[in-house]
Amino acid sequence: MSVLHPLLQPYMPTPDDPFDRIKAAHLLNRAGFGGTDEEVEKVQKLGPSDAVDWMMDFPDAPAEEQGTGQSPDMSSVSGSPQTFQEFARSLIGKSPDERKQSLMMFQQANREAELSLTKWWLDRMAFGPTQMQEKLTLFWHGHFTTSAKDERSSMLMWRQNELLRRYAAGNFEPFVRAISRDPAMLDYLNNAQNRKAHPNENYARELMELFTLGIGNYTEDDVKQAARAFTGWAHDGLDFVYHRSQHDDGIKTFLGRSGNFDGDDIISIILRQPVCPRFIAGELFKYLAYDDIDPDLSAALGNLLFGNRYELRPLLRTILTSRAFYSPQSIGVQIKSPLQLVVGTVRMLGLKMPPEQAVLSALNQMGQLPLMPPNVRGWPGGHMWINTSTLFIRYNTGVWLAGGDVPAITRINRKNTGGKPITNTKGDNVAFTPDDNGSPQQIVEQWINRLIQRPLDDQKKQVLIDALGNNPQNPDSQRRVVQLIMSMPEYQLC
Amino acid sequence: MHSNLATRRVFLQKGLTLLAVAPTIPTFLDQTVMALTDPLDSKATQQASGKDGKILVVVQLSGGNDGLSTVIPYGDDRYYQARTSISHKPQEILKIDNYVGLHPNLAPIKAMYDAGDLAVVQGVGYPNPNRSHFRSMDIWQSAQPEREQASTGWLGRYFDNTCPGCDPHVGVSMGETLPLAMQGEKVFPLSFERPDSYRYNGHDKTHYLALNQADAAAAPSATPFAVAPKKIVNTEQTQLDFLHRTAMDAQLSSEEILRITRNHSATAQYPYNEFGNGLKTIAAMIAGGLPTRVYYVALGGFDTHAAQLQRHDILMKQLADGLSAFWKDLKTQNNADRVLVMTFSEFGRRVVQNASNGTDHGAAAPMFVMGSSIRQGLVGRHPSLSDLDQGDLKYLVDFRSVYATILQSWLDTPSKPILGDQFPLLPIVKA
Repeated sequence: MSVLHPLLQPYMPTPDDPFDRIKAAHLLNRAGFGGTDEEVEKVQKLGPSDAVDWMMDFPDAPAEEQGTGQSPDMSSVSGSPQTFQEFARSLIGKSPDERKQSLMMFQQANREAELSLTKWWLDRMAFGPTQMQEKLTLFWHGHFTTSAKDERSSMLMWRQNELLRRYAAGNFEPFVRAISRDPAMLDYLNNAQNRKAHPNENYARELMELFTLGIGNYTEDDVKQAARAFTGWAHDGLDFVYHRSQHDDGIKTFLGRSGNFDGDDIISIILRQPVCPRFIAGELFKYLAYDDIDPDLSAALGNLLFGNRYELRPLLRTILTSRAFYSPQSIGVQIKSPLQLVVGTVRMLGLKMPPEQAVLSALNQMGQLPLMPPNVRGWPGGHMWINTSTLFIRYNTGVWLAGGDVPAITRINRKNTGGKPITNTKGDNVAFTPDDNGSPQQIVEQWINRLIQRPLDDQKKQVLIDALGNNPQNPDSQRRVVQLIMSMPEYQLC
Repeated sequence: MHSNLATRRVFLQKGLTLLAVAPTIPTFLDQTVMALTDPLDSKATQQASGKDGKILVVVQLSGGNDGLSTVIPYGDDRYYQARTSISHKPQEILKIDNYVGLHPNLAPIKAMYDAGDLAVVQGVGYPNPNRSHFRSMDIWQSAQPEREQASTGWLGRYFDNTCPGCDPHVGVSMGETLPLAMQGEKVFPLSFERPDSYRYNGHDKTHYLALNQADAAAAPSATPFAVAPKKIVNTEQTQLDFLHRTAMDAQLSSEEILRITRNHSATAQYPYNEFGNGLKTIAAMIAGGLPTRVYYVALGGFDTHAAQLQRHDILMKQLADGLSAFWKDLKTQNNADRVLVMTFSEFGRRVVQNASNGTDHGAAAPMFVMGSSIRQGLVGRHPSLSDLDQGDLKYLVDFRSVYATILQSWLDTPSKPILGDQFPLLPIVKA
């Protein structure tokens, strides 16, 4: 292979460009959901290379295989039918009223289980041992989008979430093959209804447009032909099944090749397209580093992924240790997703996770409900997170998380609660006391370092010092400063 | 065009806190506020927004409103045969002709009909109707039934087409999140449950404003409203500029909406529920001259699978009371001529009732279009109660014909670029 693109060569600390707190915090923000003071210090000590090794030290396995207590509480659906198909079978012989009753109970149980799954995932993001794995799982959730909105079985969403975790830093090839067989995906993009007599093109189209190649790299006819190849790929309620009688055994011509292709052949052909590794590596680079990639960099990233036979770890490691990653174009340039904002705040302030119904209400208003992306494109991100409505919600959410009483955030929308009453919606009453009793300037500096993690304009710093008032050691004074920091444009970036 | 200085003076007079120190005025406010404060000079803002512009109010009936219990074919025995325990007696029904009449609780709406302010479009739907709430709602909101996953709505595309980069006040939705119908790519309409949630709710407002003022003082020269810096390479500074600008716009816009809604005292008695509150706030925003073209409000709870009669009666009353109060309010304001109200639901309900005295998901249903520029009457025939599609009414009017008519005949904009095709126009709006 030729020489690595200069921007992808490892960043080497120098006296002029040291691996400082800003850079250490940057790595924790992008490869995770933001670091505590202790973590920033630890990463800084490790240095850019060892720190990435530390962050990437997780098994390519679902949470369930990583130890005990690693599963969401799905008890609301245990014992009851776990899929819609199974549920339908359980209705046979029942009266219409009994059916109605069963349906309501089934749906209620699923809503509760979905809520429980979401809470479990939020907790893993905030407190789990494998920050980077969760950050990547979220990436893939937005990439291989599936929404619980259309998916009535919480069990299938849980299984998919675990699948994303298993392959988050694994190999993209088995990953695509597995997601193409994933029951929640088969339902969401209607491949379960893709039959020889009535092909459904939904999955075939999105597989190319959004999952592997990007728009413009295939024709409408390729979509039709690929759809034929995926006919008969369905599930039995919990597991993938192949319905031979529904499969189209004819010759398909796809991306210039002809044969009696099935779905796996289509995937193999897609993975051999040079644009595929470029597309995937580019999306990961954008997620971790920055948006503006030129064709040279894109090609270099693609070569890296392809050269490693679609193994994701070498690519991820290269990105996270690169000059590009630590360039001014990258540091502090990303608009935090609502999840980054909420989970990061919980982490950096050392809070407990507030009641999930309230958190979900805030996330919904900011435009990012986990397990419910708005459509198959996932979350558009970047500037699309920000408008005059969502900016207030973001500020108000920050204030609320930092112990403020903000009814507009916590006025719970009943659809998010699974019908359960909410008790405490006030933010966590964390002790806002600094490590040492410094001067007002030092106290403000500490909070800026801890929360914004980058230098702040002097005039704004002075406003925060003024806000601290005459009683700087008082926790309420400090809480006021923290809430103001949450209400600043600077806090929206990482 | 006005100089920044002239606009600044207006802001200072109006006492908007932030602009007093801002060296530059967001472009949209330069236009918006002049329109608000200087009604004679409204030409510049007429195209997309403006005090004297026409207004569309969309009322979404969420859950699937039972059309057969809204516009009731009481003259058809098959209605009584299909609805054995949940029908309305002929003598209670507010008769429009000798075949259909309105639900007994829609008396205020019948009064609007009699006054010439209501058109009832019958049998509205679309080909291959989908009976999932989510999917069918997406279809109605996106007006793109062929797309499995739409990302823009018909009103969002209307904004994108008529005023890309426009003031967010062109569209206001009463609710926690912006409905798909209002989502576009170039304009970001507002959504809030009530005006007091569309503001900064932190506890130290003094220092919050001071932080904003520090940003405003340091801001670079004016850029159009919150235009995302797409073309240039992002840096921390360009991102901060974008956020500063949006924050300032949000602050000013929030102050304006709070001021307007507080100043208006409604002249009508609105029902005490979310729908009534939403309409009341909309009336206040219209009275205050917010340059909004489209307002959006929902009334939910129409998924009447069981014990429909009581539940649906209440909903009809809420709908009628809300809309009649709204209409009275607008008349008193002298703004009724500017407003057209459209109701829709994601689907109607099955013709034959179910065993729980309710109805299941169906297909075609009627829509109301209200306003003083409306050509009163029934539009189209009532769908047959015997020629059904899987037990559901067959549609006779494509909902995109209603949208096309509103876009062209009311909002004066070509509908084809928005709807992707030219749908036949209906004789709803007076020439």
